[in-house]
Amino acid sequence: MSAFRAFGIVSSADNSIHVEGLHDYRPIGAFSFLGRFRVIDFPISNMSNSGMDRIQVYLRTRPRSIAEHIGSGRHYNINSKRGKIQMLFSEDNNQHNIYNNDIAAYMENIDIIERMHQEYVIIAPSYMVYKQDYCQLLETHIQSGAEVTLLYHRVENARDYYQNCRLVTVNRQKGITSLERNLGTAKEKNIFMDTYCMKKEVFIGLIRAAHELSSVYTLADIIGIRCKDMDIRGYQHKGYFASLLSLSDYYRASLDLLDYNMASGLFSNSWPIYTRTTDSCPTKYFETAKVENSFISNGCLVEGTVEDSIVGRGVTIKKGVTIKNSIIMAHSVIEEGVHIENAIVDKWAHIIHAKEIRGTIEQPQYIKRRDTL
Amino acid sequence: MAHNEMLAMILAGGRGSRLRDLTNKVAKPAVYYGGKYRIIDFPLSNCANSGIDTVGVLTQYESVLLNSYVAQDGRWGLDSKDSGVYVLTPREKADEGLDVYRGTADAISQNIDFIDNYNPEYILVLSGDHIYKMNYAKMLSFHKKMGADATIAVRPVPMKEASRFGIMNTDADGRIIEFEEKPKKPKSNLASMGIYIFSWKLMRKMLVEDMNNPESDHDFGKDIIPRMLSDKKKLFAYEFKGYWKDVGTIDSLWEANMDLLETKNELNLNDSSWLIYTEDVSTLPQYIGKNAKIKKAYITQGVRVEGSVTNSVLFTGAVVAPGARVVDSVLMPGVVVEDGATVTRALVAENVHIGKKAKVGSKTSEEITLVANDVKGGTK
Repeated sequence: MSAFRAFGIVSSADNSIHVEGLHDYRPIGAFSFLGRFRVIDFPISNMSNSGMDRIQVYLRTRPRSIAEHIGSGRHYNINSKRGKIQMLFSEDNNQHNIYNNDIAAYMENIDIIERMHQEYVIIAPSYMVYKQDYCQLLETHIQSGAEVTLLYHRVENARDYYQNCRLVTVNRQKGITSLERNLGTAKEKNIFMDTYCMKKEVFIGLIRAAHELSSVYTLADIIGIRCKDMDIRGYQHKGYFASLLSLSDYYRASLDLLDYNMASGLFSNSWPIYTRTTDSCPTKYFETAKVENSFISNGCLVEGTVEDSIVGRGVTIKKGVTIKNSIIMAHSVIEEGVHIENAIVDKWAHIIHAKEIRGTIEQPQYIKRRDTL
Repeated sequence: MAHNEMLAMILAGGRGSRLRDLTNKVAKPAVYYGGKYRIIDFPLSNCANSGIDTVGVLTQYESVLLNSYVAQDGRWGLDSKDSGVYVLTPREKADEGLDVYRGTADAISQNIDFIDNYNPEYILVLSGDHIYKMNYAKMLSFHKKMGADATIAVRPVPMKEASRFGIMNTDADGRIIEFEEKPKKPKSNLASMGIYIFSWKLMRKMLVEDMNNPESDHDFGKDIIPRMLSDKKKLFAYEFKGYWKDVGTIDSLWEANMDLLETKNELNLNDSSWLIYTEDVSTLPQYIGKNAKIKKAYITQGVRVEGSVTNSVLFTGAVVAPGARVVDSVLMPGVVVEDGATVTRALVAENVHIGKKAKVGSKTSEEITLVANDVKGGTK
């Protein structure tokens, strides 16, 4: 069964979230991921692979990079006549305004939501990476008779990570009994994946209810309040899951994928992750190149050493360079003799004079976009 | 260039039989080159980058794959409102039998109705099996400036090799005074590249005449160009400088791939102002494993290297397992070299598996080894 009975919503992160450095230039959905992807490719590919062809992407701030990346959406395999990817904004509020939340954006576009022909809606975040067949989620939701089904992932490191996430408590009947912030009180927790499945009418009802109760309530807030008297169930996700709500989460989640088995679980031939091609040529490795345990994107020129790292498109790595445990984003140039360890180098950076850039595994060093060091 | 001022017609019917097993099931223009491309990506991308809107691709030999490949015109950006890539195969016509294209000129003649739909001022006739980057808009400006009836792109070849080519003899202004096919005693070293711009009104007339001429082979080089010269039409040579390769044999295809490993590679596929577009595949980036060794290599996305790769070109999805060694070789898409196997001076065709500890190719062989079928594991 395909999930054509549902339309998709790709949501933005709460306005309380700020990922150091990277977030200054683009929303999390536009963050580069594993060199050649952007984070938003994952929710959109999940929806497309599940047979959904009507998708609304809600943007809060700095929409340029996402708008360019999504374009007509044809690279996501969405029919250009029957299907559509819409980019929607909450235009009345500025970016740091407390009123600028998901409910405000849905209220502003409520007529568009009401006009959708699909009976169900699946809402997924643009700031988390996972693979999920939404047909299965929808099927389970319909079978269970629940009003809302939430996707969650069980983790064993909720004390140290997932600080900006919400947690769900699930009873034996898979009923959700609470939805609240992660306060880091225990290791083992069910992280809410900010992914919802429900009837369109239920969704509209929740939007209106939240809006009437408080102007600052989010969809998660209203569900947290309502889970006592509504039938809200949980659906457990298995496999790779990453939440990118902080720089250290982003860094760790990226480098985790250097385990090739983990990466190939996320990228199977039957579940392709689509992205926009940049038509860059293959990567050229020179006589002096030394590369180990790394993902390298196309269009790079590699003369130096790269270990346990992720390198974006069109990066130049000159002779005598060493890059370890780092993420180097597209079009950066690393000049001769530079040593980079535990760092995230943003796009178009030029590292020439600073010969030593070091962060720690817990606190990676961030280098700004277009910066010359 | 105004919309559809010049229409491009790409001749893609060639079999390329000297490429042996590589062209058993596909025409030569569909053969892979350079890690992620097919040869026809080059003329198609050149057309797109030169501002040409409409391209006809004339196919004939084993054309199913080529047809479905070029029909995806969005790959080259040729999918805007007034543009497109159209596959033109020989077709049955009302008052004639089904006819194959009898020659390069006949391929155009049989599609005069297609060209008439666009009513272009000029037509550009190209070959679909050459590797080069060229701005056809500049060639058209030259054609206009000279007030030419035909402009033929030429490139200088070493004088001692000139007798292998179609040679254009020109006067001081670049006007072609004589065309000699493989001359024993060449008078010039300007070889025709098989790239022509014709003013369409005149060419249309000539093609209609040629179609009905029983003496003609219906070929541009053999019939049309000599005819134009004897009619005292204005033909000019347009000199092209830069990388150009006709990869007719396994050795030359291998060599052209190896050219990409040179530090100063003349083709420069990394030039963002003149990209070569191709099929978009959904894969991981390339992964270089824990014990991998890479030295001089040209590698594209979806490749996984766990063993050692030296002086080689690896296409999409190729896998080099731990302990495997690939030297001076080209691995086409989906090739798997299993544990401990060795590939030396070889060109391995799409999806071929080289079994554990197998050895293919040789360091000292005169010719490059073509591996077109799976190789079973070795014993040692």
